[in-house]
Amino acid sequence: MNRAEKLVLALPKGRILDEAMPLVRAAGIEPEPDFDNPKSRALRFSTNHPHIDIIRVRAFDVATFVAFGAAEIGIAGNDVLMEFDYPEIYAPLDLGIGKCHLAVAEPADLAGEDDPSRWSHIRVATKYPTITAKHFAQRGVQAECVKLNGAMELAPGLGLCRLIVDLVSTGSTLKANGLVEVERVAEISSRLIVNRTALKTRPEELAGWIERFREGAYGA
Amino acid sequence: MTDLAERALLPAGLRDILPPFAAFEAETVSRLMGVFARHGYDRVKPPMIEFEQSLGGEGAFRVMDPLTQRMMAVRSDMTPQVARIAATRLANDPRPLRLAYAGQVLQVKGTQLRAERQFGQVGVELIGATDAAAEAEILALCLESLEHVGLSGITVDLTLSKLVPAIIGEQNGDIWLRNALDHRDVGAVSAAGGETARLLTALIEAIGPADRALTRLQALDLPPAAQALRSRLVEVVALIRSALPGLTLTIDPVETRRFEYYTGVGFTIFSRRSAAEIGRGGRYLVHGEAGVGATLFMDTLMEILPKPEAPRRLYVPAGTDRQQAASFRDLGWVTINGLAAADDVAAEARRLRCSHVLQGGQPKEI
Repeated sequence: MNRAEKLVLALPKGRILDEAMPLVRAAGIEPEPDFDNPKSRALRFSTNHPHIDIIRVRAFDVATFVAFGAAEIGIAGNDVLMEFDYPEIYAPLDLGIGKCHLAVAEPADLAGEDDPSRWSHIRVATKYPTITAKHFAQRGVQAECVKLNGAMELAPGLGLCRLIVDLVSTGSTLKANGLVEVERVAEISSRLIVNRTALKTRPEELAGWIERFREGAYGA
Repeated sequence: MTDLAERALLPAGLRDILPPFAAFEAETVSRLMGVFARHGYDRVKPPMIEFEQSLGGEGAFRVMDPLTQRMMAVRSDMTPQVARIAATRLANDPRPLRLAYAGQVLQVKGTQLRAERQFGQVGVELIGATDAAAEAEILALCLESLEHVGLSGITVDLTLSKLVPAIIGEQNGDIWLRNALDHRDVGAVSAAGGETARLLTALIEAIGPADRALTRLQALDLPPAAQALRSRLVEVVALIRSALPGLTLTIDPVETRRFEYYTGVGFTIFSRRSAAEIGRGGRYLVHGEAGVGATLFMDTLMEILPKPEAPRRLYVPAGTDRQQAASFRDLGWVTINGLAAADDVAAEARRLRCSHVLQGGQPKEI
């Protein structure tokens, strides 16, 4: 099939997927039955629209597939968008799912002990080195970011760093690890993202899908 | 790594272009330039490297000139060079001045979509023209030249890179808001709150097919500077519509990245065949003079152009009369000269990728 006519929708694996699927279905896209089979090893699925396929990849990879135009449309949190800052991704619709926030946290027993205005350099463990560096650079602090892919909450207690920057939804993970939130970096929710070139070369079609997702998320 | 492999490795973003693509690129450049020339755009050729203060621009490699001890920059964009020529050596030429250029540029880093650090630019500048007809002329010229080299599926996106600054102020320091605008992130922009955020959200929602976008833009209550930009856009769209009725035209009033240089209507040329941009251009004000220009990116273009048919190759065995071979070259054959007598002429011809052998004064298929 002509590449130009195919439409690929990239969805993130895991937690967000359960919240995203009702919106995908409300937009009128129904994946093949294998999509819901937890034993399936397939990564690419056909849908009720012959020219639309769904791929299921890691959240950070949704952004990469869409940025390079390998997928025209996708669902990703704005944490991922802020971290990569791909100029080729547009996020025209806030889907209002996957809500949480990105926060700076530190050990509860250290909280309030020193004066952040005197910092010139700090070490932070995070999955989001770009956002973290930008956030601290804005107030003249150089953040040395230690990139971790999970279990950030362990890092301060083991002496890896003083601070962490991570997603917080209820705060219970922080609490369980003796950490307190000291600052909010950004509010996070999932966005419908589209590839810039696709939006410009297939404007009617893409605008149509954005509209259908909007109706699904917010009602007509 | 072996010695040869080590020599083969090129720095990131640089590459060797091999046959037949090197010749195809050169031919494409000359066909594009030919269209420009027929419209009265005269070619200029600035140097590869010049004093950095006259080049300006970011992302250029710099070296020190041992003669003057001043910093020089390798050009990362030819547009400022052409503007400099127009403002200095051609200052007394009549306006509007029509110039064309083609050459290689070098950038310190590539982008995510285009890793190339060295690539060819082919472009035109229409200098000293303030009418909206100038934008329409440049855009129509670009599209004519692209169609001439066989590109299909062309779409054009128009922008007003100074519209957002006219609303939020040039000095806006909020990195997150700019970031949100760059990503057309309605959620994050509207979270900023206030009248400005409402206006910016409406701008993002206006992005799309030109007619719908214009209707939405015209419904907005804009500050005076932004109103002037908008009415120019309306004028340009009308001219483009009448010059190029079948063109797929979109408008993105929030596009500012990579358009910092432009002061009025800017445009990006896309093709459905590529995820990367084919070309970019727009209205600018430089050295106190208004102009409109556009640049085509040869690396992206070459990737998506339909490949040319290979010319027929004719093997000319050693000892054949030179005049005979010349007459076939005149007919479009590529002739490959045998340097020494071959035992099996047909095998030798095949080895050298020839489809025919010149025998008895005629090409014989093998």
